[in-house]
Amino acid sequence: MGTENRKNSMDELLKVEHLAVSFQTDAGELEAVRDVSFSLRPGEVLALVGESGCGKSVLCKSIMRLLPEKARIKSGSIRINDTDISAYKEKEMQKLRGRLFAMVFQDPMTSLNPTMTIGAQIAEAVLVHQPKLKKEAVQKRVIELMELVGIDRARERAKLYPWNFSGGMRQRSVLAIALASNPEILIADEPTTALDVTIQAQILDLLKEIQQRLGTATILVSHDLGVVARVADRVAVMYAGKICEIGTAEEIYYDPKHPYTKGLLRSLPALSRGKETLHTLSGMPPSLVRPPKGDAFACRNESALAIDYEQQPPMFRVSDTHYAATWLLDERAAKVRQELERREQAESMPKEKEEKIQKIDGENTFSDLLLDVRHLTQVFPLTKKLAVRAVDDVSFQIRKGEIFGLVGESGSGKSTVARCVMNIYRPSGGQIIYHGIDTGDRIAVRKNRALLQQERQMIFQDSASSLNQRMKVADIVMEPMKLAHRRPPRGSYRAEAAYQLKYVGLDEACLDKYPSELSGGQRQRVAIARAVSMEPELLVADEPIASLDVSIQAQIVNLFRHLQREHGFSILFIAHDLAMVEFLCDRVGVMYHGRLIEVAPCRELYRNPLHPYTQALLSAIPLPDPKRERERKMTEFAQKYETAGVMVEASAGHFVLR
Amino acid sequence: MKKNKVWYVTKKLLIFVVSLLLLSVITFYISRLAPGDPLVSYYGDRVEKMSTQERNWAEEKLGLHEPITVQYVRWLGNALHGEFGISYKYKTDVLEVIAGRIGNTLILGGVGFILIFVLALLLGVWCAWYEDRLPDRIVCRIGTVTSCIPEFWMSLLFILVFSVQLRLLPSSGAYSIGKSNDILDRIRHLILPITIVVLGHLWYYAYMVRNKLLEEVRSDYVLLAKSKGLGKKKILFGHCLRNILPSYLSIMAISVPHVLGGTYIIETVFSYPGIGTLSYESARYKDYNLLMVLCILSGAIVILCNMIAQAINEQIDPRIRANEMTEESEVVKQ
Repeated sequence: MGTENRKNSMDELLKVEHLAVSFQTDAGELEAVRDVSFSLRPGEVLALVGESGCGKSVLCKSIMRLLPEKARIKSGSIRINDTDISAYKEKEMQKLRGRLFAMVFQDPMTSLNPTMTIGAQIAEAVLVHQPKLKKEAVQKRVIELMELVGIDRARERAKLYPWNFSGGMRQRSVLAIALASNPEILIADEPTTALDVTIQAQILDLLKEIQQRLGTATILVSHDLGVVARVADRVAVMYAGKICEIGTAEEIYYDPKHPYTKGLLRSLPALSRGKETLHTLSGMPPSLVRPPKGDAFACRNESALAIDYEQQPPMFRVSDTHYAATWLLDERAAKVRQELERREQAESMPKEKEEKIQKIDGENTFSDLLLDVRHLTQVFPLTKKLAVRAVDDVSFQIRKGEIFGLVGESGSGKSTVARCVMNIYRPSGGQIIYHGIDTGDRIAVRKNRALLQQERQMIFQDSASSLNQRMKVADIVMEPMKLAHRRPPRGSYRAEAAYQLKYVGLDEACLDKYPSELSGGQRQRVAIARAVSMEPELLVADEPIASLDVSIQAQIVNLFRHLQREHGFSILFIAHDLAMVEFLCDRVGVMYHGRLIEVAPCRELYRNPLHPYTQALLSAIPLPDPKRERERKMTEFAQKYETAGVMVEASAGHFVLR
Repeated sequence: MKKNKVWYVTKKLLIFVVSLLLLSVITFYISRLAPGDPLVSYYGDRVEKMSTQERNWAEEKLGLHEPITVQYVRWLGNALHGEFGISYKYKTDVLEVIAGRIGNTLILGGVGFILIFVLALLLGVWCAWYEDRLPDRIVCRIGTVTSCIPEFWMSLLFILVFSVQLRLLPSSGAYSIGKSNDILDRIRHLILPITIVVLGHLWYYAYMVRNKLLEEVRSDYVLLAKSKGLGKKKILFGHCLRNILPSYLSIMAISVPHVLGGTYIIETVFSYPGIGTLSYESARYKDYNLLMVLCILSGAIVILCNMIAQAINEQIDPRIRANEMTEESEVVKQ
């Protein structure tokens, strides 16, 4: 027995036992990681999945001891090859970092030093653990590393600065730095979150390839279950500072046991395809300053048991590799479990009826033209001689009551289009006609200023910075009404603000809070309430869901759909991936390098994409299905797609650039 | 590219000259409109005994009877030929008077400035290293208190303590009588004024270095550097300090006039024979010709330093770098 145990622990490279990490905050002690245990074997990929604030990043940083000073490891041990390193001093940790474990961070834009060349930064990582290496040898190793992570023309590019590189190339460079001293464990903290869909697949494939070639054990942190299906051997789902379910990829994706895992999986857009609304997880994760007594997920769980509110569930064993912390797996809950399983099965059966009340396609339902963008061009001068053509000859129409989606990777010019529509930028060419008013014509704009200001409202991506931090929520919502001298329909401005907040699903208590006291999803709801309170005709939403968690994204998308039906306004909805757009939009336009390359009714576009770029984008939507994902070959994105040509109508309402 | 640079320099030079001209007009008018009698500085106490006739004659001799605009045009004409007139008080050419004093100011200001520059950097790094721990807190507290004390008051305090009470250091002047060539004596005279100059300005810049460094320390690339296995020293000096140096340099360039203004006050308090004392005297006794040159000289230094700072900033500004921009982004020629 003893020897067997020993053998088990020998082939565990990293073993975390009952780890608890907390932060000192003004509100009290924040328990970011609560009693987490897991292990990592050599050469495997463990995915750590959870929403923001669930403690996954803190967990990784506490393994490498990169926590800020306010954080403290309260209890538990971190064992590497059976040596406990949790009590190591900073000097000893320094020796381990880079050689034993290395890390790749989320945002490659900020994680590289802007004033050092890429080559110098990699060389530094090489030299840390081999200080006596000769200059030529270091240089050779740098080139070798850069080639390993797929940067070609390495010799020239080593002399470039981070700002010469694109996002994907920077993340490759960060990976090269991480691999410099051949670490045994690679921790990748959301390595693809800040990247475009097109790059995301490449980086994930690269991670997998390198992991297989070098045999590095990898912890891959992500908020998106879809993304990790392709690369993960095992998956651990974290919620409110705890691991609530852990198992092999197959077990987690095909046979999830914890209601949170199930909910996360179901809220992935790829699984809700063809359904009326997205499945959502209601509510928000609890505060970890004073975590709830029982199961932290109980308050969001429709089928929570009484015991969930009283006692924390232990890890129940499902199989040798599969464990889940939910009382549903207890002997005593067998009946409830069976009942639930039956219900789920009934739900997952395809319903013929639902297909029929699908969104109505085609042109005829929307008669009146609301917005007409004609040959819009926007050029930004960089210097006197150079300029960036951000938007190039873009034309589209939005009819009354229509939701038009605009999709494209970052830098494709979609935000610029939105800003031109809102008169924030003055277009360099083309016309934007709103309700018969030419918004480029100053006199016409001045004449109709009140109308234009009221009827067009905008929602921004980052609600943390687009809402004034020093204003209370009530003032934020009331401000546009006051500016427009609108009589509040419900008596006072405050009553109106309270009504609008309730309408978007926020409590009245939020009125006197500041934006910083709200979560990302709540802030976005405030931004929506502010826009909707003006009863707009056109809502321009610039990536309103991009910075939100998956489960919150689904909530907001459903809210948009609901509001649109109630008010009947039109929406210009901008997003960078195609998955969420499908549920919301009536028509979708795809932008690439400033050009609009394809416009079609939503279902037509998803069924029959014509432009190769659209096809590649669609195929890059990750599926939460490890078996299929592993076999599937990612459609390679071409280096550059042809952007010359004219829009041709391929079928009714389906235009493509040819 | 080369043509651009020539144009850039010409433009800057033009701005420089125009600013100086404007400065001279303003100083000329204000100094003459302000109350006071310029004859006092020329004739001293004799003025009181002068008859009206004598006064008129004296004013005519000095060219003070004409309208101010005429006086200014004549002054400008002479100035463009390099003749700035004589000092009423010293009865010699203005430039000669200044030449005798400027060295003293340059030593006081220059040494003070270099000391501030170096010490602020060291103190800032020291504080950042011990962030929020005792050494940092002590330095920050001392700094806050010291920088709140007015310089002239601190000077008086120092004179009282070190010269009057302890009799360690001289209280005024640049050298003891008859020892104008004794370097050691000169250094002894410099200690107090320089200490005051440094103490008055050091904290502000040290605090700035500290905060800028801490801002850098919090950025993501430091986390990556740490995860490489780099030590604190290498990160702080090799990465963070390097990144704040350009902006530190430009801020120090802007601050030259600031430090200069400080030395003027201190010179006056210590009766240190430099430009500062001279300016004070000339303004007080309406020594017009001297005042004009001193104002223009100080103005030139201020404008020049600001221009240098601006040039440094423009070099750092990434928008200038757009010329050599990326491989990937779509750039079109206009």
